[in-house]
Amino acid sequence: MAFRGVWQLKKLVVSYCDWGGSSRGIRAFMETKLPAFKEGNPQLEVVSELNRGRHPFLKALYKNKNERVVCVRNLTPEDVLLHATRLRNALGRKVVKLKTRHVTKHPSVQGTWTPDTKFEC
Amino acid sequence: MSNHITNLHFIYFNHMVHISLLDKKSHSLRNKTMASRRCVNPLTRHCPYLFSSNSPSLHNIVNKTAPLALPASDRLPLETHTSILPQFHRNFESLFYKSNSARHFSTGRGGHGKRGEEQDEEEYDDDDDDDDDEDESEEGELSEYSDEEDTGNNVLVSKRVPQRTYSLENKEQEAAAIGYKVVGPLDPTEQPFTPREPVFAVVQIGSHQFKVSNEDTIYTEKLKFCEVNDKLILNKVLMVGSKSQTIIGRPILPEAVVHAVVEEHALDAKVIVFKKKRRKNYRRTNGHRQELTRLRITKIEGVEIPEEEALAA
Repeated sequence: MAFRGVWQLKKLVVSYCDWGGSSRGIRAFMETKLPAFKEGNPQLEVVSELNRGRHPFLKALYKNKNERVVCVRNLTPEDVLLHATRLRNALGRKVVKLKTRHVTKHPSVQGTWTPDTKFEC
Repeated sequence: MSNHITNLHFIYFNHMVHISLLDKKSHSLRNKTMASRRCVNPLTRHCPYLFSSNSPSLHNIVNKTAPLALPASDRLPLETHTSILPQFHRNFESLFYKSNSARHFSTGRGGHGKRGEEQDEEEYDDDDDDDDDEDESEEGELSEYSDEEDTGNNVLVSKRVPQRTYSLENKEQEAAAIGYKVVGPLDPTEQPFTPREPVFAVVQIGSHQFKVSNEDTIYTEKLKFCEVNDKLILNKVLMVGSKSQTIIGRPILPEAVVHAVVEEHALDAKVIVFKKKRRKNYRRTNGHRQELTRLRITKIEGVEIPEEEALAA
């Protein structure tokens, strides 16, 4: 995602195996969808790694030095693309239960109401 | 009645196809409209979308079939009215009826004996149509299509999973119902992110209301049809105010507008749904992660900023 217009995902590592059956989907993804994905996201560094004998995964490295790894074994190319897009759309913050859906630094404009507040009518 | 309702759903998903398919047979079925009038009620309840005249395709069809339906000989008294409403009624009655009669697999309704009549009428209608308005090739195409597909279509359509494809207008309508409008992607050169101003607005997105100032971020349920870094306009503003002034909408302020930028589409933390019944050997665990959209408010329009306070802030 983009924090004040700055994309937070810096690097996406696509790790796959050229032999294993669980990598079938990601191999198709790399052939069909990955070039378009790279083109659509020029701000992003996409690296593909060959790890033989391992299940495939996507690893996202964010600007705030967090990293997020998603296992994509036995997924279809569409699902892999969905996960890659999700990683791109995320800010890289830790996933915590939100206490509030409204985040502000300046809670009040008109000041806290007290019993002494008088309204001008 | 439940049969009707399922039919209505059926129509709702496939109404584009069915309207064209069904409108042609309306004449022969006109005398049966009394029964089907009762069915218009559930139709309006379930598919208000059909009745809104905003849907352009429906509108076209209604307009085109209106002259077509006029020369019918056996008309109910209601249908002699020339206002638009009976036309709507007529169309939906016929629409409803045809869906019944066209269902070959259902017994007891629209018996097979009537099929021959309908076919005759249909041919007559087509001729009529061609004579009346030759320039409307679209209508002709539609009827041809339904002729070909007449037998196989219903089975096909009912098996198909309802695919939700949105036209541009549909997207805008749905977005407007939620309370936002997509403007377009953010240009990297522009800097809409300004320091805080002492102004607030109460804005509604979906069924949530937020009190926002600029520079705030809010998490809403996932907003459709927008990408990260898109600019949005939130137009359901219920209230705006500054330090010295408050404007309250009744219920919304049409001239006030809040600008926002999409920052993130992400999943919320996982919620575990655990069900258990005592002594019944019953346990179910489900996980759920809600999709959220994070918006950053960039600007609030509709209230003037008191100058000295803006300077102080």
